[in-house]
Amino acid sequence: MTTTVAPISRGRERPHTLDGWIWLAMRYSGILLIPLAWIHVAIQDVLVGVNRINLNYVAQRWALTGWRVYDVALLALAFGHGMNGLRQVLEDYLTSDVARRAVRWVIFFLWLAIAAVGLVAVVGGVR
Amino acid sequence: MSPLRSVVVGSAQYRGREGQIAFILHRLSGLGTLLFLGLHIVDTSFVFLAPALYGEVINLYRSPLVMLAEMVLVAAVIYHGVNGLRLAVFDLFPRFWQPNYEKPAVYGALATAFVLWLPAAVIMGRNLVGFAFLGWK
Repeated sequence: MTTTVAPISRGRERPHTLDGWIWLAMRYSGILLIPLAWIHVAIQDVLVGVNRINLNYVAQRWALTGWRVYDVALLALAFGHGMNGLRQVLEDYLTSDVARRAVRWVIFFLWLAIAAVGLVAVVGGVR
Repeated sequence: MSPLRSVVVGSAQYRGREGQIAFILHRLSGLGTLLFLGLHIVDTSFVFLAPALYGEVINLYRSPLVMLAEMVLVAAVIYHGVNGLRLAVFDLFPRFWQPNYEKPAVYGALATAFVLWLPAAVIMGRNLVGFAFLGWK
């Protein structure tokens, strides 16, 4: 009996597992984060600097809805990208399925909780 | 051998050359950035959840040591982005990848990140000296 082996596809295929979609999301969020995170860092850390940042500064910045949308996008992409990266690193060093499953759930809920806190602040604004 | 020890010893002994250096730097810069990002989301949430404490938290970031760490953070964010772009391009367009591209691509990413970081480091270093030691307001 002869078996045929499918040739290795060089074309673009849609992922068919959750891990496949996450793999793709890591690439696309990473590419988007290059302008988003770099512009954020260039303005806040380099051009403005932590010594000129205070409540008043944040209030002025968030007076423009555009910056709030920007910050929500940054929160969603950067923190999701980072927490999934942490999961990948930890799963590389965990061999038991129980430990991997536990790490996945802990990271998932930590991500959800901290992202929710951040979202509440951006939407609520400076009091 | 404990898992942590085998990771450290294994990484030092494994002769993966340039690609492995990039792999280790990518993970360290990513994990370091994530650690700060988690803190930063929480400290920024203080503007809404505990406005009275926001100034005190920001004050912690103004100590010379933390401002120095901030310069390292900016280097990590830049390197992670440049090296990540290298990975994304080769992952999404495998036809661009050739074994003899590995070495120049890794060093190219390091050099690009350094060149981009240099002006940021000059400005941040100037701020660090001015605000921490020369009494700038």
